[in-house]
Amino acid sequence: MAESWRANGPGRILTGAEISRDYEERADACVIGSGAGGATMAARLAEMGARVVLLEEGGLYTRDDFDMQEATAYPRLYQEAGQRATADLAIAVLQGRCVGGGTTVNWTTSFRTPDRVLEHWRSAHGVEGLDPATLAPHFDAVEQRLEIREWPPAQANANNRVLWDGCGKLGWKRAPTRRNVSGCANLGYCGMGCPIDAKRSMDVTYVPDAVKRGAHLYANTRAVRIDLHRKRASLVRAEVLEPGTDRPKGHTVLVKPKVVVLCGGAINSPALLLRSGLDFNGRIGRRTFLHPVVASVAAFRQRIDGFYGAPQSITSHQFADRGPGKLGFFLETAPVHPMLAATSAGGFGAAHQEVMARLGHVCALIGITIDGFLPGEEGGTVSLRKDGRARLDYKLRPQHWEALREANKALARIQLAAGADTVWSLHEDPVVLRGEADLAKLDRAPWRPVRVALFTAHQMGGCAMGKDPDKSVVSSKLRHHQVDNLFVADGSVFPTSLGVNPQETIFALAHWAAGHIGHNLR
Amino acid sequence: MPGELESRRSFIRKGIVGTALLVAGGGVWVGTRRTRPDPAIRGPLQVLTPEEATVILAVADRLVPPRRGFPRPVEVEVPRKVDAIVAMAQPAVRHELRQLIGLFESSLAGLVLDGLPGTFSGASPEAQDRRLRDWATSRIEVRRTGFRALKKLVYAAYYASPETWPAVGYPGPPTGGGRR
Ligand SMILES: Cc1cc2nc3c(=O)[nH]c(=O)nc-3n(C[C@H](O)[C@H](O)[C@H](O)COP(=O)(O)OP(=O)(O)OC[C@H]3O[C@@H](n4cnc5c(N)ncnc54)[C@H](O)[C@@H]3O)c2cc1C
Repeated sequence: MAESWRANGPGRILTGAEISRDYEERADACVIGSGAGGATMAARLAEMGARVVLLEEGGLYTRDDFDMQEATAYPRLYQEAGQRATADLAIAVLQGRCVGGGTTVNWTTSFRTPDRVLEHWRSAHGVEGLDPATLAPHFDAVEQRLEIREWPPAQANANNRVLWDGCGKLGWKRAPTRRNVSGCANLGYCGMGCPIDAKRSMDVTYVPDAVKRGAHLYANTRAVRIDLHRKRASLVRAEVLEPGTDRPKGHTVLVKPKVVVLCGGAINSPALLLRSGLDFNGRIGRRTFLHPVVASVAAFRQRIDGFYGAPQSITSHQFADRGPGKLGFFLETAPVHPMLAATSAGGFGAAHQEVMARLGHVCALIGITIDGFLPGEEGGTVSLRKDGRARLDYKLRPQHWEALREANKALARIQLAAGADTVWSLHEDPVVLRGEADLAKLDRAPWRPVRVALFTAHQMGGCAMGKDPDKSVVSSKLRHHQVDNLFVADGSVFPTSLGVNPQETIFALAHWAAGHIGHNLR
Repeated sequence: MPGELESRRSFIRKGIVGTALLVAGGGVWVGTRRTRPDPAIRGPLQVLTPEEATVILAVADRLVPPRRGFPRPVEVEVPRKVDAIVAMAQPAVRHELRQLIGLFESSLAGLVLDGLPGTFSGASPEAQDRRLRDWATSRIEVRRTGFRALKKLVYAAYYASPETWPAVGYPGPPTGGGRR
């Protein structure tokens, strides 16, 4: 660890509930967002001796607040109270908004970045210096701090066992996942905040690490603009929100930093740059990727209790590479809580009720498509609405629909092979399958926007890194191409999607980038 | 599928008129002008009018039809809970949702889009199911979007309510045990 070059004052945490005046801070680094990227960045910079101010628009919650109720968790802990989606509502966007960001509510699956992805970023996007060897020590460090370890298949819940058994029967690849947990009681409520602090999410690891080293955390505090002065980011303006209602309290936090590190996540980071007028080449918000997800639900004679147990512990990468011209996809599971299941299941009325009535016997599998690697594939676009809110458009092309359809078939086959008596697609006219012979029905189903429920829990891109300042937003060092002291360190810098769950890549990228960002502060 | 059989001409007509209606919205209140507020709606509501809450309840009654063990939407206060969800949204989203409720209910829109005169809340259960289905599988994407918005609101409000859990076999979050 580098030696401190400056004595930090005591760290502190202020939330919207306590703030009753304006604040002005001078800081070495203003980190915007306390999720996977922001918390890791703040902790590392503080450890190197920097005076850090960390701004988070969401609230600060601790284990006693996590009541395992969907009715409280989604409004409190997710973007747009759990209602975020693409502009046409075709893809529901699950994204965190609280201290810890997505990590507070995510399902703990942890992968290192696949080597082939880093190689693609190098060859297709001119990303320099981000190779497996460079990142390895950073993966090691975050894996140690976040206790990322393989979850024994013997502890997989019945929902994940369907994926394991089904892949086994079909002779497909399958593997246990690694998870960032310690003392996990297999409760199944990762998506609503861990009530026993077993998940090593940012709110219980790097955020407190940063505060212990002197960082100032402002929760319920939204950065609204980054001001430039002589081509440098000179001021971050933030407004304080009332917890609960999210209405501005009329107080501001102004931060005058040496560097700004933007870590608001995909969608929100590009939106803030757009609001700040920092789009010099029309690239901000472009190349937004979502790992679009299709799901399949199936009922079994035996109970599955998919609402209990670690939500994700098995994965299959059988179809991750389907050759040129096709999107690959990988297969995982989703927890089966009543609200999430009901808002996702196809149809309405008696047919929908039939699925819900069997919820305790229902298995939910997901197919995660790997977007952003096809030639000419540009992904979605983040722009600003008239009232300043972020708008996300994502046009699914024929290749996407093909992959979603094939993924749905693969999921149904797994469920049938594992002994499901009925499988339902998530179409508004659900396709019902009772055997392999019914698979062709999925080919005939309408694969069009808002005819079938789709999701994303992995938002990436929008501030793509790359070599060419005309085609990307930040350099390979994550520095904004036109603004010297502005960095972006979150999922928005990926030039493509990832092909694996993204959190660990974001931790490692931020951990790595903090080295040179902190070094330059001296 | 019902929507797929329409003649091309009628699709174009519905497409243009339907989109114009959706865009214009007709003002938030027009759609519910003829709505008779359901006396079962209990206040206080933060955002929705009693008429709009009545439409939500009518939609909920068809999304969750009577079935043994399933409480009726009014018993778990779906309208009040939907109102609370809408109240959390940004002002522009709130406005759009209220427009949507009005359009869905409106007798004019019903006539033009579905050939069904009369309000949604005043229609028979069969006619209500038909309008829901027409929206859910419409060729006009904005209508499918509208249906999805209503569906998600209603199901979120209903199934997040612990009173509905016995019907779906969900014992609820573990108590004691796991918590330190
Ligand atoms: C339900 C769910 C399950 C998931 N499961 C997994 C999994 O199992 N494994 C995995 O690897 N990934 C998973 N993910 C994805 C993973 O959590 C995210 O990819 C990751 O957290 C993104 O990191 P980030 O730093 O880019 O953004 P985030 O972690 O989202 O953090 C961004 C933070 O910035 C804040 N912010 C944004 N704008 C501003 C602003 N203007 N001012 C102040 N603050 C702002 C946001 O409120 C947020 O808290 C899941 C996500 C969800 C939602």
